[in-house]
Amino acid sequence: MILTGIVMALLWGCIIAYAVLGGADFGGGVWSLLASGPTAARQQRLIEHAIGPVWEANSVWLIYLVVGLLTAFPLVAYTLAVALFVPFTLALLGIVLRGAAFAFETHITGSVNLRQAWGHTFSTASTITPFLLGAGAAAVASGQIHYRNGAVQADRFTPWLMPFALVMGAVALSLCATLAAVYLTVEASHQKDHEMAEVFRLRALIAGAVTAGFGLLGLLLAPGEAPIIWHGLGHQALPVVIITMLLGLGTAFALYLRRYLLARGLVIAMTAGLLSAWGLAQMPYIVPPDLTLSNSASSPAMLGAFLGSAIVGMAFLLPSLWFLFRVFKGNQPTPAVRGRDLEES
Amino acid sequence: MSHLFSARAQMGTSLAFHIIFSVLGVGLPVLLCVAEGLALRYKDPHWMRLARQWSKAFAIVFAIGAVSGVIVEFEIALLWPSFARFIGGVAGLPFAMEGFAFFLEGIFLGLYLYGWNRLSPRAHWLCSFPLWISGGASAWFIMTANSWMNSPAGFTLKNGVITNVRPFAAIANPATPYETTHMILGCYVAVGFAVAAVYAFAWLRGQRTAYNRKGLLLGLAMASIAIPLQVVSGDPNARFLETSQPAKYAAMEGLLHSGRGQPLYILGIPDQKTGQVYLAIQIPHGESLLAHFNLNSYSKGLDQIPKADQPNAIVVHLTFDLMVFCGFFLLLAALLFWWFFLRGNRTLPDKRWLLWGLVACGPLGFLAIESGWMVTEEGRQPWVIYGIMRVSDAATPSPWVNVSFAIFSLVYVVLGATLVLLLLRLARNPLPERTWEEYFVTTPAPQAAISPDKMQEATE
Ligand code: HDD
Ligand code: HEM
Ligand code: HEM
Repeated sequence: MILTGIVMALLWGCIIAYAVLGGADFGGGVWSLLASGPTAARQQRLIEHAIGPVWEANSVWLIYLVVGLLTAFPLVAYTLAVALFVPFTLALLGIVLRGAAFAFETHITGSVNLRQAWGHTFSTASTITPFLLGAGAAAVASGQIHYRNGAVQADRFTPWLMPFALVMGAVALSLCATLAAVYLTVEASHQKDHEMAEVFRLRALIAGAVTAGFGLLGLLLAPGEAPIIWHGLGHQALPVVIITMLLGLGTAFALYLRRYLLARGLVIAMTAGLLSAWGLAQMPYIVPPDLTLSNSASSPAMLGAFLGSAIVGMAFLLPSLWFLFRVFKGNQPTPAVRGRDLEES
Repeated sequence: MSHLFSARAQMGTSLAFHIIFSVLGVGLPVLLCVAEGLALRYKDPHWMRLARQWSKAFAIVFAIGAVSGVIVEFEIALLWPSFARFIGGVAGLPFAMEGFAFFLEGIFLGLYLYGWNRLSPRAHWLCSFPLWISGGASAWFIMTANSWMNSPAGFTLKNGVITNVRPFAAIANPATPYETTHMILGCYVAVGFAVAAVYAFAWLRGQRTAYNRKGLLLGLAMASIAIPLQVVSGDPNARFLETSQPAKYAAMEGLLHSGRGQPLYILGIPDQKTGQVYLAIQIPHGESLLAHFNLNSYSKGLDQIPKADQPNAIVVHLTFDLMVFCGFFLLLAALLFWWFFLRGNRTLPDKRWLLWGLVACGPLGFLAIESGWMVTEEGRQPWVIYGIMRVSDAATPSPWVNVSFAIFSLVYVVLGATLVLLLLRLARNPLPERTWEEYFVTTPAPQAAISPDKMQEATE
């Protein structure tokens, strides 16, 4: 049981990492779609520059989450794959188009039309995907996906299309946008581009307010449409909920003071808090109301092997990740050695 | 279209698409590593230019490899949920370990592609090592999962309940050594020949530069080391199948009847309804001789397998022959090339037929990979987990698989077309020649002073 809990915590950590890292890449796409004003082209360039070196690595968190779920909680993977076939297939389409479009857009030279077409694909897919993922998460939380007598019983549409789910989709989307905007203020101030920093500061504040608004709306809908979560939020998860709200306010305040690095740290902590609150609120269920940690986990041998492999893997992963972010996102990113090849830096 | 058919077609299309990029992802980093290493060792601008040119192509190829991989990963769960549940609980570990290989690959790829000017030359070169190591590791892990589907191990099945799960025994299933070796070698074969083919083509068009010569030789060197090993590793693989998956083996060889002194059928149409093999070139006693070194030894045919458990012999037999043909063609091309090369005092042989032969090797390597996979996957039918779970029992109950098949097929067409377009453009506008010093002069970078259109210039 302890082993199951540790493995679940590990996977939950992956959700947080994906939200914080991959989510911001989605948010970048959203801002690319919404780029406007005289500096629109510069905004897009900054976004491209920020996403370029890291998106491949960022998206692996999602893959690891899928395989981790498959390995450690195969019954959960099965249930979700059957019940949420439609939204997950659509989200998959979005993920694929977004990744491909980003790569194409950055590497197309010459044809402006083609570049624009892929640019639009990139930003549209970036917008739709987090929405679907958020709605899917809400469907899980809603308690409307059942696994009984060896079969999955769920309506194909209502769990992820009811008001609560739609609102949570909007929360996910605006959260991604907030994350991206906050990171971009840091990115811009590293490049000493204060105009861009101001542009994204304003956007971060607006997106943050929108996220908070949708979040509260979600809380209002929860008692009726996701009672298990609602109960948990008011009980075991309550301290985390309060901390999350404070972190959100803190982020806004840091932005207001133009303390961008601090804002980045706070918004990451807030995202982690939000997801932890959700996780805690539905303990011990993974897919309420039928699948719990204990009745859906793999054998202890598998869980142990999985955990072991994760520890060994992390020993390679974490230093490499640290190195990647130090080179490209650090406080003082290593300067380009040569001016001529700027396109590669 | 039937529901099951759509699911199978979607899975097959996705994997056939993904494998092209996976193979490049395993093979190209090795070439990058060697070329950059040679460049640094000999301060040679040609090697440096090759490494940089390849890394530009790799950036696009890898991205498509990653997104197509994500499709496959999701599809395993979305299209085959029962299978996913079974394999997850027993042999999910390689998928999880593969995840870390992907992480490392993604991280060092970012460093490699975007770090030319941010890392010291040596540090940059060192970043290519984790790249090829993790590429090979991800291939190894995923192959163990596929081997497990072919020879499931590491669990006990009692009245439909899985007990006594041994994750490491599942990884070390009997097919693992054969499949992993054969596949990883295949990546080096296909990529080596593909790269050689590009430069052989340039050579044929009269671009006889030191740059093209080096590209050709390096690609072909890697391929030539791997191809004999590849052919040699195919043989025990087939032998192993005779005992572990007799239906696949019989279908491969076109053996419809059991008996002694079996002929070797080359090409031909093994018709399971009539029990006849039409239009084949027959080598009497050939199969018995190759399989057991004995002209009159006994081999099992498809007649010993229940009708419901037989794969489609026509597909499996012909794709097997295609792979073997490709293998021998590649081997011959490599041998002839080095023979003329060494006899001609290390000048590229000026024989058009030989160079055109090398050009043909480019697609043939990939054709061998695709056909080899058809042998493996079609030969396993109707099982998804051999002897344990049928494909028809694994498929998702969801409707709309037809729709998703149509949509994803369209996505592949669009992605493939754009990718080819980009790669052709890249080939037509290679990076400019530079001297060695120009690659490494340190000029302070006045970042903000460079306007976007100047950047564009630097790109051309
Ligand atoms: C460059 C590619 C290439 C070349 C030249 C060959 N193969 Fe191959 N073959 C593959 C690439 C490949 C592959 C795509 O990598 C497969 C698919 C699954 C696997 O493990 O490797 C494969 C599968 C495969 C299988 C089925 C394994 C299974 O289902 O478990 C057999 C029996 C052989 N090969 C045998 C051969 C022989 C006798 C060859 C002699 C010329 C040969 N291969 C050349
Ligand atoms: C990358 C090279 C591969 C290619 C080209 C390939 C090709 C195919 C094809 C053509 C099918 C459809 C077979 C049919 O139903 O008639 C198929 C099915 C399938 N493959 Fe593969 N395959 C590859 C590797 C793998 C690997 C590595 C795995 C697992 C780890 C895998 C898992 C599956 C599954 C689960 C199915 C669906 C069930 C079935 O039809 O047997 N494949 N593949
Ligand atoms: C034998 C067949 C396969 C080989 C050799 C292989 C190898 C690779 C390699 C080397 C990559 C790195 C990306 C690239 O270079 O393009 C990759 C990507 C990927 N593969 Fe495959 N793969 C195979 C089949 C599969 C299957 C069956 C799955 C799903 C279960 C899968 C899932 C993935 C995923 C999710 C990625 C993306 C990783 C990333 O984001 O970097 N692959 N594969």
